[in-house]
Amino acid sequence: MIPELGHYALVLALVLALIQSTAPVIGARTRDAALMNVAGSTALAQFGFVAIAFGALTACYVTSDFSVANVFENSHSQMPLVYKFTSVWGNHEGSMLLWVLILAFFGALVALFGNNLPATLKANVLAVQSWIATAFYLFILFTSNPFLRLPDAPFEGRDLNPILQDIGLAVHPPMLYLGYVGFSIAFSFAIAALIEGRIDAAWARWVRPWTLLAWMCLTLGIAMGSYWAYYELGWGGWWFWDPVENASLMPWLAGTALLHSAVVMEKRNALKVWTLLLAILAFSLSLIGTFLVRSGVLTSVHTFASDPTRGVFILMILVLFIGGGLALYAWRAPLLKQGGLFAPISREGALVFNNLFLTTACATVFIGTLYPLALEALTDEKISVGAPFFNLTFGPLFLPLLVAMPFGPLLAWKRGDILGVAQRLIAACALAAVGIAIVFIAVGEGSVLAPFGIGLALFVIAGALTDLSERTGMFRLPFATVRQRASGLPRSAWGTAVAHFGLGVTLLGVVCESNWNEERIVALKPTQTVSIRGYDLGFDGVIPRQGPNFREQIARFTVKRNGEMIGVMEPSKRTFPSRSTSTTEAALLTRGASQIYLSLGDSNADGSIAVRLYHKPLVLLIWLGAVVMVLGGALSLSDRRLRVGAPKPAAKFAAQPAE
Amino acid sequence: MTLWFVLALMTAAAMFAVLWPLGRRNAAPAGSDVAVYRDQLDEIERDRAGGLIADVEAEAARVEVSRRLLAAAVAAQTAPEPAPSSVWRRRAAAIAALVLLPVGAAFIYLVLGSPWLPGEPHAARLQTPLQNQSIQGLVSQVEAHIERNPEDGRGWEVLAPVYMRLGRYDDAVKARRKSLELNGSNAERESDLAEALVAAANGVVTADAKAAFERALTLDAKDTKSRFYIGVAAEQDGRREEAASIWRTMLVSAPPDALWAATVREALTRVTSSGPSAADVAAAADMPPQQRAEMVRGMVAGLAARLAQDGADIEGWLRLVRAYMVLGERDKAQAAVVQARRALARDPEKLRRIDGLVKELGI
Amino acid sequence: MTRKQRRLVLIGVSLGVLGLAAALVLSALRESIVFFNSPTDVAEKNLAPGTRIRLGGLVKDGSLVRGDNLLIRFKVTDGNKDVAVTYQGIVPDLFREGQGVVAEGRIEPDGTFRADSVLAKHDENYMPREVADALKKQGRWQEGSGKSGAPK
Repeated sequence: MIPELGHYALVLALVLALIQSTAPVIGARTRDAALMNVAGSTALAQFGFVAIAFGALTACYVTSDFSVANVFENSHSQMPLVYKFTSVWGNHEGSMLLWVLILAFFGALVALFGNNLPATLKANVLAVQSWIATAFYLFILFTSNPFLRLPDAPFEGRDLNPILQDIGLAVHPPMLYLGYVGFSIAFSFAIAALIEGRIDAAWARWVRPWTLLAWMCLTLGIAMGSYWAYYELGWGGWWFWDPVENASLMPWLAGTALLHSAVVMEKRNALKVWTLLLAILAFSLSLIGTFLVRSGVLTSVHTFASDPTRGVFILMILVLFIGGGLALYAWRAPLLKQGGLFAPISREGALVFNNLFLTTACATVFIGTLYPLALEALTDEKISVGAPFFNLTFGPLFLPLLVAMPFGPLLAWKRGDILGVAQRLIAACALAAVGIAIVFIAVGEGSVLAPFGIGLALFVIAGALTDLSERTGMFRLPFATVRQRASGLPRSAWGTAVAHFGLGVTLLGVVCESNWNEERIVALKPTQTVSIRGYDLGFDGVIPRQGPNFREQIARFTVKRNGEMIGVMEPSKRTFPSRSTSTTEAALLTRGASQIYLSLGDSNADGSIAVRLYHKPLVLLIWLGAVVMVLGGALSLSDRRLRVGAPKPAAKFAAQPAE
Repeated sequence: MTLWFVLALMTAAAMFAVLWPLGRRNAAPAGSDVAVYRDQLDEIERDRAGGLIADVEAEAARVEVSRRLLAAAVAAQTAPEPAPSSVWRRRAAAIAALVLLPVGAAFIYLVLGSPWLPGEPHAARLQTPLQNQSIQGLVSQVEAHIERNPEDGRGWEVLAPVYMRLGRYDDAVKARRKSLELNGSNAERESDLAEALVAAANGVVTADAKAAFERALTLDAKDTKSRFYIGVAAEQDGRREEAASIWRTMLVSAPPDALWAATVREALTRVTSSGPSAADVAAAADMPPQQRAEMVRGMVAGLAARLAQDGADIEGWLRLVRAYMVLGERDKAQAAVVQARRALARDPEKLRRIDGLVKELGI
Repeated sequence: MTRKQRRLVLIGVSLGVLGLAAALVLSALRESIVFFNSPTDVAEKNLAPGTRIRLGGLVKDGSLVRGDNLLIRFKVTDGNKDVAVTYQGIVPDLFREGQGVVAEGRIEPDGTFRADSVLAKHDENYMPREVADALKKQGRWQEGSGKSGAPK
């Protein structure tokens, strides 16, 4: 009964979405309050029904109900419970269900917390949101239905792809989807504004928290995906410029640009038309990402199935929403009232600079990702565009962005004083110079770029700190005043500094890892020892072990430094009989922010085993920085200014003195 | 019945979600841009008071925001008041909720869903009494047990014959190999493995299978199954005389109540009645040369087809090459040598024999 | 500055950045893309030694030889032509004879292919798409044949 309940709930969600797509729009046009109100309650009900559908599918996985074809294909009764949960979205159908669950979730959030929006805007936003939902419900029900049944239920399932049986998978896709789908709200706001033909500074403030939320989730999702690839794929790489990774990076770049341009729009009522375009683009890139990953156009771990009808269907959704969105933009945007212009040297000028480079960098990633597909479609020639391409294009475009980053927040609105700002950044420059000098002396040889990379990272970090100290008047004013200023500083200002600081930390990790990563590939026999950067790893031998649904050969290594034991590493090879396949589980030993990385290769006839050993200095900073960025986002999101605007709370806040 | 009841409840909830707001005529609390600009003004004042921005900047910003506030306030006043909700529009929406929603949902669901299928959670199925369980279910339980205890030789031995009966021959081979490995070798296990190998190869006695039968016979020269299949191997190689003689010996020594005797007798009639037995060959000697060549060609083609399927049989290859040479089809012989080398690439001993033949015949 | 000048500055800078990006993309595309080739392509195209390519096909049965120091040699075949490959390092979990493989590297003057990375399929049923296409071209691949293979 449970799978059928889920199936029906999904059908109900579709029918509700159809009503939500039409009634509120008519209501907004005719200013009919009752019809506009339909949007809110149907959005909540839609979320309820999708949640029932998702819960039903999860229940089928947990109880190993193999009468559901999707469960049979992707689960196994002996699988550990946690992977029974994660395999719900470890396959195409289930992951699309998660996609609409999150879409409906955001719709419900707008319905619940959107009380500060004008009624017509809210109704239109929810209706547009429902158009997207309708398209995806149809897609799921008619091409990727997770609730299809098998009349003669098999007794055992086919198991989940072993490479996906990992805790990283438990959190990475939902996070990524929260980000992807979160941009749908920005898209809906943009389309709603175009429908109403009116857009002003207030719009930016309304759309900002949603964009921020999506951006945070996407940042976290990308970071987790990168860490997952790092330890699960056994190659020690954390970013491969794989098309699927690029598919998540592109919306991130566009979303980051959107966050910044929305600030200009909110403060200065400028860049309005551009911000609308970015909102449409960010979600379009999310859709393209979904299309690339799900249609089977690309092959990767993420491509669960390649079914041409699905590809065509998603392509239709893509054309409908991207094409429709851009066409509406082309038609309505010129009718919008233009905002003002401003001086090139100013905070808004700096933000335009940021937007220019972010979107251009995004465009190069786009070209690098889609060029091979286009070329193959046109000439039948197959090429691969790999890391070298992106290093040569994305790198140089990101560089000026990083150099300019500390300047932006220090510039005043309207008319900035670049020399004054440079003066205030002298301490940061000095720190960077010292860093460069130390690295030059300490390392001596190697890439000339590496010390400058470190210098740049330090500059970005110190720049963020300078921003804070300037605003609070640290080192200039008496302590009491500094404290008062610090507490009076809006949380969004703290958020900016923290997020910029986080990017600097990530950059530091990236530079260290890519320049001073040490790799060793050797064949070892038991009792032999291999050394890397002062760590000695003694190979104790191989122990077999029986897992719940796999068998495992664990190689045990004792790690010593200066003769003192500091840990044990146990990389392993797992064999999954139900799919007759195997995976390599790397072992990681963390020392500060650096890691020793050990993964196994083949066993040889002479009893030796091949191992791949890395020392990765400060590699953890890459992901730590991303977490700091998300923290910055969270600080910004908690800024009460983003929530005011609703009549009642506004009055209350205004009466309060600054905290 | 419960299913339909719950589905009806869900439909009712969905309808309620549409109908409820239609019943409430007054507008829900909503914000406006005026509030945002007011807040921006307060914020500028706060920042100025806190010393975060200078007075001049604050003043400029205030003028700018005030201008926006004014414009928004004017727009709000000139905007049409929310119209009183028109009755016919609400009726239309209500009809959509009352009619289209349930009908549409039911239609789509009945097309896609399978309401007649019950859910079948794994745990519940394991608890159904043994005699009601399908053989599949039992197999799955033993498999789950083996999965946890892969070193349990008895489990593999129990599983193997079931696999054979279910036609899962590849799994049967795996299980029997495992059983041999864990329980040790004896004639019965060797011949069982060989039988599974034959089944997996669609009835062809492969070199692997033949070797296993031979191992079984060295352990127990009387092993019936192995003797029978050695005969089949001979038959498949075209040595019908030899097959017949093996089976004849078996029948002579068969106990009167042996169940297998019938099978062997049937096989014996098969080789002796059709195809070129010794008698046929004798008859062939009297045939016109044209006809005789036809018959030989037919046999050779059969052999070639078998070898193309299972190339491990060195004797077969040697015979095939010789036959082609006898028939004067030198290029076919060469092609057969190439094929044989490919098929036997992993066995240097056999390759050497092929090479020897090539030298001998001067191909 | 007047409005017009400001607008011109903005447009000028934008065009400058776009131009820079276009130049970067074009030069990077010329230098760093890698073409995919099947063994038949390698034989027919007469590629110059040192050309960086991706080579895809099946690991030929019986061709895999492991040497010292993690050196391995194998042949990649598409059923029509073979290319000998050498690779030093650790091959992926699912690298086996008779299975699909994509190797990236350079052609040596003696005609062998020196790979610096080897990718195999991710799971039992998966075949790199390029490999599947290349095999289809040679008529060696049927839809679904990846699934029906007997477990060994």
